[in-house]
Amino acid sequence: MLGVLAAAFALLQSPVRAASDTPTQQASAESSEKLGAESYASHCAICHGNQREGILPGFPPLVGIQHQLTDAKIVALLREGKGRMPGFPKLADPEVASLVSYLATAPAAPTLGVNTNSKLPPEAAAGSAIFLQNCAFCHGRDAMGGETGPDLTQSKIVLGDKDGSAISGVVREGRIGKKMPAFQFSNSELASLVAFIRVRVAAAASMKGGRRGVEAADLQTGNAAAGKQYFNGSGGCAKCHSVTGDLAGIANRYEGLRLEERMLYPRDALSKVAVTLPSGKIIQGVLAYQDEFTIGLRDSNGSYRSWSTGNVRFTVDSPTQAHVDQFPRYTDKDIHDLMAYLQTLR
Amino acid sequence: MISLRQSVPLIASALLLVLATPHRSAAQNLEPDQILHPAPDSWPLYHGDYSGRRHSALKQITPQNVADLSLAWAFQTGQNASIKSSPLLVDGILYFTVPDNIWAVDARSGHMLWHYNHPTTQGDHIGQRGVAMYKGWLYFVTPDCHLISLNAKDGTVRWTKDIADVNVGYWTTMAPLVVRDHVIVGVSGDFDNLSGYLRSFDPESGKVQWQWNSTPPAGTPNATTGGMTWMTGTYDPDLNLIYWGTGNPTPVLEGHTRPGNNEWTCSIVALNPDTGKFAWGFSVSPHDTHDWDAVETPVLVDGDFHGQPRKMVMQTSRNGYFFVLDRTNGKSLLTVPYGPTNWALGVDKDGHPIPNPDKEPAQDGRIVAPDEGGMTNYRAPSFDPATGLFIVDAHPSWSLYFAKPADGTYGWAGADYGLWGKGLIEAIDYQTGKIRWTHEVGPYGSGAGVLTTDSGLTITGDSTGNVLALDTTDGKTLWHAGTGAGMQSSPITYKLDGRQYIMTGNGGVLFAWALPLHGAAKQ
Repeated sequence: MLGVLAAAFALLQSPVRAASDTPTQQASAESSEKLGAESYASHCAICHGNQREGILPGFPPLVGIQHQLTDAKIVALLREGKGRMPGFPKLADPEVASLVSYLATAPAAPTLGVNTNSKLPPEAAAGSAIFLQNCAFCHGRDAMGGETGPDLTQSKIVLGDKDGSAISGVVREGRIGKKMPAFQFSNSELASLVAFIRVRVAAAASMKGGRRGVEAADLQTGNAAAGKQYFNGSGGCAKCHSVTGDLAGIANRYEGLRLEERMLYPRDALSKVAVTLPSGKIIQGVLAYQDEFTIGLRDSNGSYRSWSTGNVRFTVDSPTQAHVDQFPRYTDKDIHDLMAYLQTLR
Repeated sequence: MISLRQSVPLIASALLLVLATPHRSAAQNLEPDQILHPAPDSWPLYHGDYSGRRHSALKQITPQNVADLSLAWAFQTGQNASIKSSPLLVDGILYFTVPDNIWAVDARSGHMLWHYNHPTTQGDHIGQRGVAMYKGWLYFVTPDCHLISLNAKDGTVRWTKDIADVNVGYWTTMAPLVVRDHVIVGVSGDFDNLSGYLRSFDPESGKVQWQWNSTPPAGTPNATTGGMTWMTGTYDPDLNLIYWGTGNPTPVLEGHTRPGNNEWTCSIVALNPDTGKFAWGFSVSPHDTHDWDAVETPVLVDGDFHGQPRKMVMQTSRNGYFFVLDRTNGKSLLTVPYGPTNWALGVDKDGHPIPNPDKEPAQDGRIVAPDEGGMTNYRAPSFDPATGLFIVDAHPSWSLYFAKPADGTYGWAGADYGLWGKGLIEAIDYQTGKIRWTHEVGPYGSGAGVLTTDSGLTITGDSTGNVLALDTTDGKTLWHAGTGAGMQSSPITYKLDGRQYIMTGNGGVLFAWALPLHGAAKQ
């Protein structure tokens, strides 16, 4: 009883805490933290990890939780639970207070490391655990590229992202076209991921020649004159493209690997579709959806319309088909020459 | 009327008969004979049976009535990870997984009996292919390289053993293979230069019985590392051989430090399951530099090959070639592409593709077909004996591969970028490699495996989450249902209480499809 009164008194004196009815034992902070650590270990660690690093995808890290939730919110969560997290209504106030106090302090040791040699700061350490479990298979344990994912340390999006929002956007939305799934992470999880990626970018920049990736300088082995001949000749490019028309200045818009990838297959190009209804009426638009059973388009007004494929006839005009047909015909020299030629279009 | 004296021997022999016959005891028990000869109301291992054909004798659902197929029940895992496992069905209970999780579900009601959920923080959580079962015990591998034996009745852990050291770069995802009293487990991990291997554990004690290494330790002169044993092998009980595919060599895209065929990476090997002794090996992708694991199901088929009866093993491999080998000695019978490939100079007299050095990853890039994901991957193929068709979810594709000295010689050692691909179900005539029919399943590709049945159905899925029932003779769609998430696993089927079910995992939901109870077709 006396302890609780003392705690309340201490709360009133504390400049740190906002107005809240959370009892905090400022006076005996050390023992409180020890109690908090023990309480954490027995109630929370099984889901949130020994170092508060979380266990993704279901159990978020708690590192830096004080930036996300007020003390009152944390207490409410502890008491009531949320979703799959159980509540702990029987926890005594002092224990709750010490838990909150413990959560406000940084973890003692870095979390489970990746193969980096240096100790990671706490946020990046939490991010490394998330990255290892969810990203490493495609992007590599060191974020420098893996099975199907690009080297993030050379990514334009990563390097140009000032506040983490661009990276977070990609993680949240995924990249359907490139088979990257969308991930549902909280803000704090994303922040820790961004922190980890930034650490890797810095590490990669300091590596002497150890990088994986493709620089524009790697792609300059072709001959522009030969490329021009190929463009107008057996490449067939001139049938659809014009260097003074749609491709004018293309090298200003794209460079290096991005230019070469789009040259070989422009994945953003939209297809057109013409749907013939049973009445004979033809509706045209931009192809918006297609599987074996449903065809959908956006008409000239931007409205989406779809039909069962069994009920209509339709033809799809895909500008990328010619690119697909060309794949087996390229030699590697053709590609390098074409690249050299396109890079003159500024 | 027989006397008591006469009836005693009769009773005794009747008892002996009952005791001697391998019959199922109460429940949650799987005897070796039940894996050898699976009953229609079971799916006792990842492949359904030891042959890996993923072909069922069940005929209740037919091309004529499949249009009436409907949802019997669905089980929602309530979490984000996609189901990539093939469920086991034993004694009316289904066991299936995602990383760190096992569910036991009543196959009649679709309700959960128990859920093992022990999150791990280390190791790649890319997927989990399912449990294995022996007697009353389940066997489960974790991302951080532990083999766990659990009581099938309630999911409690009996013991945990080490398979590998996650800290040096291994992780584990596969469904173990139980062969008599051996639980055989494989490893994954090619971000590091590690040796691949198979390890056999005693099912009761968990003691290691033997280990077979696909490659020697890193640093061995004139050798390579790699050869991870990513997926589940198959077994021939008459020859007493297990057949296993091995993964790519490391460094992955850089081959100069490892000249030669790099045995036994990207290979099909035959081993004795009791000792791990190597019987023979065949290099599917000699000196691979494109990450093309040869871990796709080594399907065992007994049949005629060009007029002669043969015991064969077949694989549609990631590198774009379809292989038929004599499984008694590993000799090649047929090697032929099953989609666009441009990386080989041809096939040598022993049936090995000859890699073109000009298509190895280079500083200024090489255009390569198929892409790094391969002409097929983890999704199971199926062999249909009636038509002689080997049916696979293929991925015609093109990509760019790069490697330069600055990329080093460790782990990936290069970069690759897929340009384009699509999903195509292909029905391959196993004797000639000719593709008899195809069925488009969407841009980018489909993650669905294939199941065939004796009634002439092919079950698979497309890239937008439709489950498809196709006519095995011509690939035409007979039934479909949209599930909202693409299949990342391979379908199974079983008969329970006289009703045939087809089971698919889509997203985090397990679906049981069957003909409606009222008006269900008689068998």
